[in-house]
Amino acid sequence: MKLYYSPGACSVGIHVVLEEIGKPYELSPVALKDGAQYKPEYMAINPKSKVPALQRDDGSVLTEWPVIAAYLARTNPEAKLMPTDLEGEIRCMEMLDYVCGTIHPQGFTRQFRATNFTSREEDLPKVIEQGKQLAAKYFDTLEKGWTHTGTWVLPSGYSVADAALFFVEYWAARRSGMSLPPHLDAHLKAMLARPAVQRTLQQEGLPA
Amino acid sequence: MKLYYSPGACSVGIHVLLEEIGKPYEAVLVNLREGAQFKSEFTAVNPKSKVPTLQRDDGSVLTEYPAIAYWLSATNPGAGLLPQGPEAIARALELTDFAVATMHMQGFSRIFRPANFASNEADHPAVQARGSEIFEKGLAVMDKALEGKEYLLGGYSFADTALFYVSFWWAGRLNRALPANVAAHYTRMKARPAVQRTLAAEGLA
Repeated sequence: MKLYYSPGACSVGIHVVLEEIGKPYELSPVALKDGAQYKPEYMAINPKSKVPALQRDDGSVLTEWPVIAAYLARTNPEAKLMPTDLEGEIRCMEMLDYVCGTIHPQGFTRQFRATNFTSREEDLPKVIEQGKQLAAKYFDTLEKGWTHTGTWVLPSGYSVADAALFFVEYWAARRSGMSLPPHLDAHLKAMLARPAVQRTLQQEGLPA
Repeated sequence: MKLYYSPGACSVGIHVLLEEIGKPYEAVLVNLREGAQFKSEFTAVNPKSKVPTLQRDDGSVLTEYPAIAYWLSATNPGAGLLPQGPEAIARALELTDFAVATMHMQGFSRIFRPANFASNEADHPAVQARGSEIFEKGLAVMDKALEGKEYLLGGYSFADTALFYVSFWWAGRLNRALPANVAAHYTRMKARPAVQRTLAAEGLA
């Protein structure tokens, strides 16, 4: 199993999942900053030019964060990373999709790749500010929807949904200087206390 | 079961799934053009202000296209919308996520709502051009996935409804050309009675 990742990219969440599972895997860096995702070596693996991509032992490649997470959880049931009942499963999926389909691309891509949104240098601060506002709004929606008393996203316990929420919380706190609402702030702290998360951050050379 | 939708929005794909399943449901119009998604009546149902939103018979609400599509397919096995086995399900979700999160939200949203991406009106053509580029790259991925197949997974599945709605936007609304395999898929989809009923019900036929 090989994870194609870029340090600190959303792939960090899948990296956490692999560390939680604890079986051997290989890490292959794709330096997004140098445009390595557009080079033929990588396009041969993932023509979508994105990380994370997971190459399995038979050579086949799986893409899309929610799908990779669900696959890893399902094929490693002993790690208990995804509810097994349909209702728990779809609530988990709903969170993965919201983080990966909305919070990341709408909230954080605006902040980290503002030039994807405007060609005018003078408009860049506006794009970044809008990204922060959107991210804050999405976090607020999650905060209001956090109606159970548990530490983890799903009332049933720790799951891949926590690894998804973690990477946007981590971006907010460590890269964007945003403050998180109470439940999410406590969630980030609980994530940072997990050995699997600590190992992941260390391997990617990221601050704890 | 109640589907909150807006005519021609991505909810059209979930609408197709409900028609394929064929059980009674209610379609509730949320007029995105008039901003109905931001009114308190709707945010009480879905605070994310988005369609599709599915309200189930117990009153609980499910959001996110892939989660709704998967749930409907899993709870209606007789409709044959869920591919068999974890590997095929993973592939179906992978294609669905790509259509929704990349082709739609990164590609098409730039074309249809450039103001959400750039506040300066002079930038809109560049935003739209970038949207087309992302979308066309996505079409190429889908075209390859369809090589030698009638539907994305071989047999019909929920993933086809996601490709259908982005194809419908591109070909049906913008009159842009689809690559050969995607064009054949789109034609095949439009021939399905469930799709025809959906388009008629949303006033898009």
